[in-house]
Amino acid sequence: MTNFKFDIDPKEPREEKIAEHKDFGKVMQNYQRMTNPLYRTPLYRYRKIFIAVLLALSIAFLIAEFGENKEDNNKIPADSLKKKMDSPMKDSVKIKMGSNR
Amino acid sequence: MNEHHKTEAYLRTELAIVEAAKSDPSKFGVLYEKYYRQVYVFVFRRIGDEDESGDIAANTFLKAMLALSKYTYRGVPFSAWLFRIASNEINLFFRKNNRERIVSLDKSDLSKIMVEGGENDSEENQKLLLRVLSTLTTEEMQLIELRFFEKRPFNEIGEIIGITENNAKVRTYRILEKLKLLLLKSGGR
Repeated sequence: MTNFKFDIDPKEPREEKIAEHKDFGKVMQNYQRMTNPLYRTPLYRYRKIFIAVLLALSIAFLIAEFGENKEDNNKIPADSLKKKMDSPMKDSVKIKMGSNR
Repeated sequence: MNEHHKTEAYLRTELAIVEAAKSDPSKFGVLYEKYYRQVYVFVFRRIGDEDESGDIAANTFLKAMLALSKYTYRGVPFSAWLFRIASNEINLFFRKNNRERIVSLDKSDLSKIMVEGGENDSEENQKLLLRVLSTLTTEEMQLIELRFFEKRPFNEIGEIIGITENNAKVRTYRILEKLKLLLLKSGGR
């Protein structure tokens, strides 16, 4: 059975209370907030897509960083390479020459 | 003709405002001004709390604005659509709060039901009627409230409840028959 409370010959609500709650500006403000596309579809609303995009961006960043470091390691400065190339050659020639004598 | 009956010209003018509000939401302010009090009182009669009624009325108008593009004219005042939204909000309120539903009525309304049901309109029978009314379901009570306590036409009742005018008539008279039977069982005459 439903619970009903019968109010016979009820009092009307007070006019000042009605006026107190009447505020179209507030309703309009809420309406604008709710129809704002950013409010309607925040990034976290599609959690899976948001996480996937975040992961993809993180991986892309890591790859870019790692690739750059690798390139730096592989790159030997030109003068040090020249020195390296020059010195062992001379020594070997010297050794060879000495041995011939 | 009671306050709920409106002329075709009146309804057409109102429809023009609704159509304007569909493309410019700020124009909804005209409808808000026009119907705020009615919606507030509609809610207050069922909730009995002034502050809660204010919140529900505000939600009603917000939801109406958000769904305005779906509104279609069915030959009844725009207020009927607002009352439908308000009615859903009231049901939501009772589902959340588990409070007692308020049924506001004038003593003369009880007499009207007794007469429509072909019963003797005595003080004793009116008391019995109240007891019998409390056994109705929420949906049945809603129809009785709209028709007998608020004196609304059937086409508007249909729009508020979401059924056809004919269906509203049939259901109301079935409830009256049920009440009559219950009164007889309870010893009324």
